Amino acid sequence: MKPRPFRVSFAPMAEETNLAPKSSSVVRPRTGAHVVAVTGAASFLGTNLIGLLEEDDLVDRIVAVDIKPPVTAGNKTRAYAVDLTDPSAEARLAEILAAERADTLVHLAFLASPTHASAWAHELESVGTMHVLVAARHAQVRKLVMWSQTLLYGAHPSNPNFLTETHPLRASRSEPFFADKMEAEAEASRFAQRAQGSVVTVLRTAPIVGPTVHNYVTRYLARRIVPTMMGFDPLVQFLHEIDAIAAFKLAVDRDVPGIYNVVGEGVLPLSTVIKLAGRFSLPVPHPLAESLCALGWIAQIAEAPPTFLKYLRFLSVADGQKAWDKMGFRPAYTTREALLDFTSAQRLRDVKLLQENAA
Amino acid sequence: MTAKKTAKPRKAPARKRVKSVKPAPLEAEIALPSPPPSDKPPIPPPRPSEEELAGQIHALEERLDRMIDAAKHTTEPPPASVRQLPPQEPAEKAVFDTARELLSTDFYLRKWGRLGMRNRSEEVDDFGFDPVYEQKVMPLFNFLYEKYFRVEAVGVANVPGEGRCLLVSNHSGTLPYDGAMLKTCLKREHPQKRDVRWLAEDFIFHFPFLGSFTNRVGAVRACQENAERLLRQEALVAVFPEGIKGIGKLFKDRYKLQRFGRGGFVKLCLRTGTPVVPVAVLGAEEATPMLLRIESFSKALGLPYIPVTPTFPLLGPLGLVPAPTKWKIMFGEPVHWGDYGPEAAEDEILVSRLAEGVRASIQAMLDRSVGERRSVWFG
Repeated sequence: MKPRPFRVSFAPMAEETNLAPKSSSVVRPRTGAHVVAVTGAASFLGTNLIGLLEEDDLVDRIVAVDIKPPVTAGNKTRAYAVDLTDPSAEARLAEILAAERADTLVHLAFLASPTHASAWAHELESVGTMHVLVAARHAQVRKLVMWSQTLLYGAHPSNPNFLTETHPLRASRSEPFFADKMEAEAEASRFAQRAQGSVVTVLRTAPIVGPTVHNYVTRYLARRIVPTMMGFDPLVQFLHEIDAIAAFKLAVDRDVPGIYNVVGEGVLPLSTVIKLAGRFSLPVPHPLAESLCALGWIAQIAEAPPTFLKYLRFLSVADGQKAWDKMGFRPAYTTREALLDFTSAQRLRDVKLLQENAA
Repeated sequence: MTAKKTAKPRKAPARKRVKSVKPAPLEAEIALPSPPPSDKPPIPPPRPSEEELAGQIHALEERLDRMIDAAKHTTEPPPASVRQLPPQEPAEKAVFDTARELLSTDFYLRKWGRLGMRNRSEEVDDFGFDPVYEQKVMPLFNFLYEKYFRVEAVGVANVPGEGRCLLVSNHSGTLPYDGAMLKTCLKREHPQKRDVRWLAEDFIFHFPFLGSFTNRVGAVRACQENAERLLRQEALVAVFPEGIKGIGKLFKDRYKLQRFGRGGFVKLCLRTGTPVVPVAVLGAEEATPMLLRIESFSKALGLPYIPVTPTFPLLGPLGLVPAPTKWKIMFGEPVHWGDYGPEAAEDEILVSRLAEGVRASIQAMLDRSVGERRSVWFG
């Protein structure tokens, strides 16, 4: 059995910071009937969320759905191997949810980083979400919590400095990474309209960084020389991995229907981010960067396709006020602290003092 | 015995440190004051004097010395826990390690990365204002304000010392120096040294280099959401409702105020209950006199137009240096619209009437001062 570092380190912290200020909106379910199903259970968020749920006495059973079991699975967890890209996934998932009498479904089966296998990603994210939601309606799941990202607002020169949840999603539709996730969000809002009486929570997280998470943002900042857009220095925002997991735990614990931006406090200019990470920035003129990035993406040396370059030029910062007020979400780390926490772990990785398996 | 020995390596350096920090006076007596036995409730002991403290430290040192001496003479083998420690590395090896670290490129990369932060604060505010960077730029702004444009400020006392307030100003200059000068003016002349956040047009805000520079010194992209957020934080915000039409004014149209947008600033003030201070900037319109606007191929450069001034594009980038005209910044009486209430923002007739009122008062200030002025260069 692999060690489970998160169960030890994450649980008390999250309890203190995010769950402590309990407002009147706390709805504790009747005891012994809290069954949480998690799709994408072996992902970073899924693994750690299951670790937290394992420690929660109010949770009776955890149903882990993924193509492999999560490493944090304990006594309460029952893991099922379901491939959401499979056409029969819907029926199988409905069967599992009904048999386990799951009342809460946490849908985390999304890709954290862009992939070259865009057809597969489409099947997983867009079609997979459809499968999951239909299965959830069949099994009459009471609550749905879905992961989304603030990236979907898009980086535009016309963005206000802080985007609220009511702002339309304007990320480039030509990029499958965004298009699939936007389709998934549209599916979720249709689900919320149709399935009256059920609670649908969508959490849009800012780019997640931290000492253990691996995604295209951490890979970008792990480069010795970080390419930037010459003359542009947008403000960026991060969310610490602990806060991200705590937010999902919070959404499982409380009934908070709606869409929430889950972000760390504060913003930093990209140049300061790179300097705090102790990296060199390489300013590239933006007309040139487009084609260089396209080449790099094809050659698999760039972390992301050229549509992501806009995020290095323009603002895409979300306002976390609604989550603060309605959900009672209190991020433990500011943007800067999250970055410094990532940096301190990355320094150790640089000199090969820290090695771990990519989650 | 073993307890003494394990204590030895830990305490010896501590003794040395104490000695180097505060040498004990030689004449201090070795006396360890013990509390007198009493049945009374414990009263807080009087604060020991410096000599007493030194004496105590001295006594402890003596005891330690005796313990170390005693340990030297013993032949007993050290306990297992001590023996298991790895042998200390020879000094040469440590030197090599240090040298290797110093010679590796990583070391310099790291240092350089941190060095790059010397001009920056590690934290900026919500809108990207960087106080450390501003400190670096302030001498330039002060030079422009004091020596170059010789700005004269009139009626600064009309700007409230605290709370939200909106400065509404005329806009001019091919490169808008008026925002920066307005900021410098209030920083220097206002009794509370208030920080102004001014709203900059999109194209400036997203122009390479210029955009990130103006953002760091306090400009914010002009839009309703940003302005409202700033005002709710009780900030002092400056707006230029003429927008691009203002800075794109030709020389022949100088000091003729353009349309004030769609009255967005009035709606904003009505919604947030913000007082308005009309501001007239005189002299900026002659600093970069625009003779011609080229709009045919400016889109390719991401600009609304390409200006043609007497010096630009003739002298290249040097042509963008403004002429040293004499400036005057006038602050009018504050206008309060609190009585109308926030729902009045929906009343378009009222909004356009109020916007026109502010526009007229700025135009009147400009007309008066242009008439009084004898020279563009000397005021």
